Amino acid sequence: MIRSLRVRLMLAAAVLALLFMLALLPALQKTFSLALQESIEQRLASDVTTLISAARVENNRLMMPVLLPDERFNLPDSRLLGYIYDRDGRLVWRSRATANENINYQPRYDGRGNEFARIRQDDGEEFFVYDVEVKLLGGKSAAYSIVALQPVREYRETLNGLREKLYLGFGAALLVLMVLLWAGLTWGLRSLRRMTVELDEIESGARDGLSGEHPRELLRLTRSLNRLLRSEREQRGRYRDSLGDLAHSLKTPLAVLQGVSEGMAQRPADREQARVLQSQIERMSQQIDYQLQRASLRKSGLVRHQVQLRPLLDSLCGTLAKVYRDKQVEVAFDLVDDARVPMEQGALMELLGNLLENAWRLCLGQVRISLGKVDGMLELCIEDDGPGVPPDQRERILQRGERLDRQYPGQGIGLAVAKDIIDSYDARLTLGDSPLGGAAFRIRFTAD
Amino acid sequence: MKLLVVEDEALLRHHLHSRLSESGHVVEAVADAEEALYQAEQFNHDLAIVDLGLPGMSGLELIGRLRALDKTFPILILTARGNWQDKVEGLAAGADDYLVKPFQFEELEARLNALLRRSSGFTQATITAGPLRLDLNRKQALLDEQPLALTAYEYRILEYLMRHHQQVVAKERLMEQLYPNDEERDPNVIEVLVGRLRRKLEGDLGFKPIDTVRGLGYLFTERCR
Repeated sequence: MIRSLRVRLMLAAAVLALLFMLALLPALQKTFSLALQESIEQRLASDVTTLISAARVENNRLMMPVLLPDERFNLPDSRLLGYIYDRDGRLVWRSRATANENINYQPRYDGRGNEFARIRQDDGEEFFVYDVEVKLLGGKSAAYSIVALQPVREYRETLNGLREKLYLGFGAALLVLMVLLWAGLTWGLRSLRRMTVELDEIESGARDGLSGEHPRELLRLTRSLNRLLRSEREQRGRYRDSLGDLAHSLKTPLAVLQGVSEGMAQRPADREQARVLQSQIERMSQQIDYQLQRASLRKSGLVRHQVQLRPLLDSLCGTLAKVYRDKQVEVAFDLVDDARVPMEQGALMELLGNLLENAWRLCLGQVRISLGKVDGMLELCIEDDGPGVPPDQRERILQRGERLDRQYPGQGIGLAVAKDIIDSYDARLTLGDSPLGGAAFRIRFTAD
Repeated sequence: MKLLVVEDEALLRHHLHSRLSESGHVVEAVADAEEALYQAEQFNHDLAIVDLGLPGMSGLELIGRLRALDKTFPILILTARGNWQDKVEGLAAGADDYLVKPFQFEELEARLNALLRRSSGFTQATITAGPLRLDLNRKQALLDEQPLALTAYEYRILEYLMRHHQQVVAKERLMEQLYPNDEERDPNVIEVLVGRLRRKLEGDLGFKPIDTVRGLGYLFTERCR
């Protein structure tokens, strides 16, 4: 299947033009050959007339001059042949050029006058024949068939030459047509290309919607797309706001309950119940966090984002450095200044925030963040010099997002959220050892 | 220490107020940012706990306004959403730490103590001045490694003076450390308390770290580490 609209149009136009030319060609050839035959007939008629006017009859014998007024009869190699037969079909005169020819022609002296015909010899050669019956010559009664012949070969050559010229002409016309069509299509499809450029800009976040400067035929499409983009953006915003409100309105009561349970825990008789209450509060809180973040941070369908990594890292590291001020963590960056990651800003911030806090919490004093190409794919790596994760626990840690109901004490939902965000972007999170001595979280983005 | 709590949910506010008061702090708990700004302008606080999801002026804006008023006390934010956007914005606006709701009071207290310690320039949970050692977590004073029997008020005054060592501390400031803003106050109480504290510190060793600066207040003369 041909994907390009332009190639499709070009192909269709070329096939149409070719069919048109193929239909036109035989008609043109037919017309030309008819005209050519007519002119040959006229010329042969005039040649016969030359012979008639040169002939005389004396004593019932045909007398022909040695030299005829038309040069072509006199030359030995001429292609114009002249014959004169009597009424019984006997040859009485032949022109000089007929010396090497042996024409097998039998005139029919049947009173029909002139005849133009095409005859075929035994050796395959064909001739045009013009046969005139005369009854009088120079006022004397005489019955002769005066015949002029010309080979068909020349006619064929002329016709072939014409066909060749027609083919060449049509080929050149087709070429010019295609070039003009290409130029026309380029002009016509320019607006589609402009739309592609604008869509690229939308995907990269440089533009909010399509411009209004498109041809009338596309305006409905661009307007619909703009509406869709706007509504998606607004919906995401509304969605995020209501999720935030929901989080606030659910978790503040939980904080109150937590306080109540702590009050209960101070009374020895209620301690066990307080413990149950607290573990349920913790579980609810984690579920709320996890589900809300999951809902708000999924990849958007229309816009493909490219977020500059450095400013985001700077603000996150600034925040963490402030919170973990006593720890004096040394952060190393291994990325170019303009490094970009194909994710939405909010999602990338949550993802990096969770992974970086993890690193900050567990490291001894060193964290390294790097971005580079590995096996042709973009890989973001966050390493620390902490205790690392034993190989047999890695799978479990990364699987937690799917089994949140199984509680492992001491772990937040940070990694589960990170894993979920990464999955929604078709990226892969792996956990390994770092040369720094601790864990290395690697996020590999599929080439999109 | 004197704390400002800004939380719109009445039950949580009440809980924070009572638990923090039990831990030996003087707590002003308010429901909105306007009231918090008024309190911060009128009194001297050592730390503020601010909920980000306040009605009207947001917690984020409140933090910005407090910092614009040159209030340098540490600010701990409480956030319901727990997302990084909020945390980063909060800390960029001038907060010092965050806590996601719901939280255990012990965690809140640990964060508060760390912030208070840092704000007065101490990195350890103890402050030492000569033979005197203050254990900030246990809220206990040790003189020559012997526990000193101090009342809660005496301890608060001693901790405040040691945190602001080699600075003149006005009586009014010490008063704020003892009573909420709207309570009746008697300035003589401070003199009585400081007198008792001096006697207990002097003991057998003759340790006299608290001077009176006439008309201005008190001065803890020893260098604290």
